[in-house]
Amino acid sequence: MYRLIISHETRSLARTGALWAILALLVFAIGFAAFAGGRAITRQAKGAADAVAFENGERAKMRQDTEAYAAEVAASGGTYEFATVNHVPGRGPPQGTNAGVVGAETAAYVVLPPTGLAALSIGQSDVQLNYLPASMGTTLDMIKNLETENPVNLQTGPFDIAFVVIFLLPIFILAMTYDLLSSEKERGTLAMILAHPVSLRELMASKIVARAAVILAVVVGFGLLALLSVGTQLDQAETWVRFALWIIATLLYSLFWFSLAVLVNVYGRSSATNGTILAGIWLILVVVVPTLVSLLATTLYPAPSRMDLIVAAREAQTAGEKNMGSALDRFYSEHMDQVPTGDQRAMDFLTLAQANAANIEKALLPLYEQFREQSLHQEGLVQRFQYLSPAIMMQLALNEISGTSTARYQDFLDQAFRFRSQWNDFFASRFLKREPLRPADYDQFPSFSYVPESLTTVLGRLATSLAGLLLVCAGVTLLPFVGLRRYQVAAR
Amino acid sequence: MLEAIDLKKTYGDYQALKGLNLRVNGGDIYCLLGANGAGKTTTINLFLNFVTPTSGVARVNGIDVNADPLQTKRYLAYIPEQVMLYGNLTGMENLEYFARLGGHDEYSADDYRGFLRRVGLQEDAAGRRVKTYSKGMRQKVGVAIALAKQARALLLDEPTSGLDPKASNEFSELLVQLKSEGAAILMATHDLFRAKETGTRIGIMRGGQLVQELSTDEVSHADLERIYLEHMH
Repeated sequence: MYRLIISHETRSLARTGALWAILALLVFAIGFAAFAGGRAITRQAKGAADAVAFENGERAKMRQDTEAYAAEVAASGGTYEFATVNHVPGRGPPQGTNAGVVGAETAAYVVLPPTGLAALSIGQSDVQLNYLPASMGTTLDMIKNLETENPVNLQTGPFDIAFVVIFLLPIFILAMTYDLLSSEKERGTLAMILAHPVSLRELMASKIVARAAVILAVVVGFGLLALLSVGTQLDQAETWVRFALWIIATLLYSLFWFSLAVLVNVYGRSSATNGTILAGIWLILVVVVPTLVSLLATTLYPAPSRMDLIVAAREAQTAGEKNMGSALDRFYSEHMDQVPTGDQRAMDFLTLAQANAANIEKALLPLYEQFREQSLHQEGLVQRFQYLSPAIMMQLALNEISGTSTARYQDFLDQAFRFRSQWNDFFASRFLKREPLRPADYDQFPSFSYVPESLTTVLGRLATSLAGLLLVCAGVTLLPFVGLRRYQVAAR
Repeated sequence: MLEAIDLKKTYGDYQALKGLNLRVNGGDIYCLLGANGAGKTTTINLFLNFVTPTSGVARVNGIDVNADPLQTKRYLAYIPEQVMLYGNLTGMENLEYFARLGGHDEYSADDYRGFLRRVGLQEDAAGRRVKTYSKGMRQKVGVAIALAKQARALLLDEPTSGLDPKASNEFSELLVQLKSEGAAILMATHDLFRAKETGTRIGIMRGGQLVQELSTDEVSHADLERIYLEHMH
């Protein structure tokens, strides 16, 4: 019986022009989103690669200079010396021998590699830079291009596949189902059908299956196509695990909207009323609630503004400068390149600058901590309030699955900060001891390699959102099947 | 065979049906007459389990409709005032769908064509989409569905209202054929003339009650109209 009704419904749907228009739109939206997502990922990857290549090139040049200098020293039998800050190009030791210069004037980029599914949900990754410069100096230099004041969690984000799934898919589903029973009732075919040995429940379930099959075939099929066309790391099992999770989440989310349409239909109002009610619910759950939760998060736990950071950095710097003694010292410390050649004080000023940076860094530490805390608070609040709307749960789930979640980024930042201090220590210790860098030292520079989170960590974070979706779905799915008992087929 | 035993239906304070007792045997065409709101449609909806009775029992083929609605619907065919079909499917496709919903998977395309021919649908119409059909054509498809379903009992709710006299006459002839094959037919109607011509028994309803039952061969057209009007005053 189910099969008969499903095939009948499919045939009826296939002969409905409006359905083809809806599907064409959906396919177009997915295609465009995949294109946009793929382009964003490519752009990020290219930006990171360019930055890394540029800095590596700078260091390679310095290394060449030191190699030439080493050869020269070996030939003349002189000593291999440490370059002063201000030197005449081509004479004396090159800048590449000075650890302070190499460590501060070139940067090592730390790069967060995208997951295989990154293109499906760009999330915040367009404002969360996926590559950051690590160099001597302060952490502030590293994160100054980060968008810290961004209303973190729940921005609509770019037009990616997650957007299509979260915002547009419900509209397509509701367009196909808002009059699921009411249209048959209004047309009079419901009475014809129910005069046959078919229960309302069978009819309803079959109608849903027919529509769900159409929509999901399109979403999963085109999602897969999109993944294949823009995805990366397709050879890794983890990518396919993530894709399976993506499909599960999409299934649950779709089921929610289908069930909601059934629930509204069960109350037996007119198609027009059902449509209005469902559109209202969509607006509240997909637009209003997420906006309010985001607003609540940023109001309750505002991130310290970037201005606060900069002001604090200035204050620390001013305090440091007071200790610097004479006006001349201060002048030279600001115009290091104008210190006369051979003036030993130049080195002192560099040392002072290094000490100064350490001071500023120390002064800013509480602020960084505050950032981190506020960001964690915001994230925690969104995590707690996500159960108010399936759209939030879905956004969090998709971000997690695609590797663009706040938690993964925070983990990357932690790794990046650790690497920066490693980089800083490596060069600072050599510089302060005036140890000249030799060509071979260039192979000893710290290098960053991202440690990916384990899949269990990701699954653990994902579990709350998915479990929430599952619960809401179960609730909304079961209700109509209880309510169907009271459905009035005939008007009194 | 259709049977109502002390069947009652109330909506809040309103009593739509006040204890109906009715029996339609195979080979009978039982015509329910009465003004709008007399309870004719409620009676039919109760047999279809579209509404649940407040008390009393409706039986189809001896089975309680409320206890096992799906089983009773195997024996029933329903032809409402407007037989509503799927407009974007052809007459053949509609017939096939409803026949199979009724549990009959055994028919071939020729069988379906045969049913449609038997009810007098034009040959070329069978393959056309139903949205191009007139009401008369749709009512014929309704009868074809009843034929295909091999219905033991038919419930008709003013099936001929709005049909032109020729179409109405053709429809009535089909009913007489079904009756002669042993179907029990319950028809709500306003058409006293057709009731006398095709019906075997007549029940007059008023205010949710059956006020008089008579056999059509006992009365003339004029008598029937007089009796009916007496009850309506």
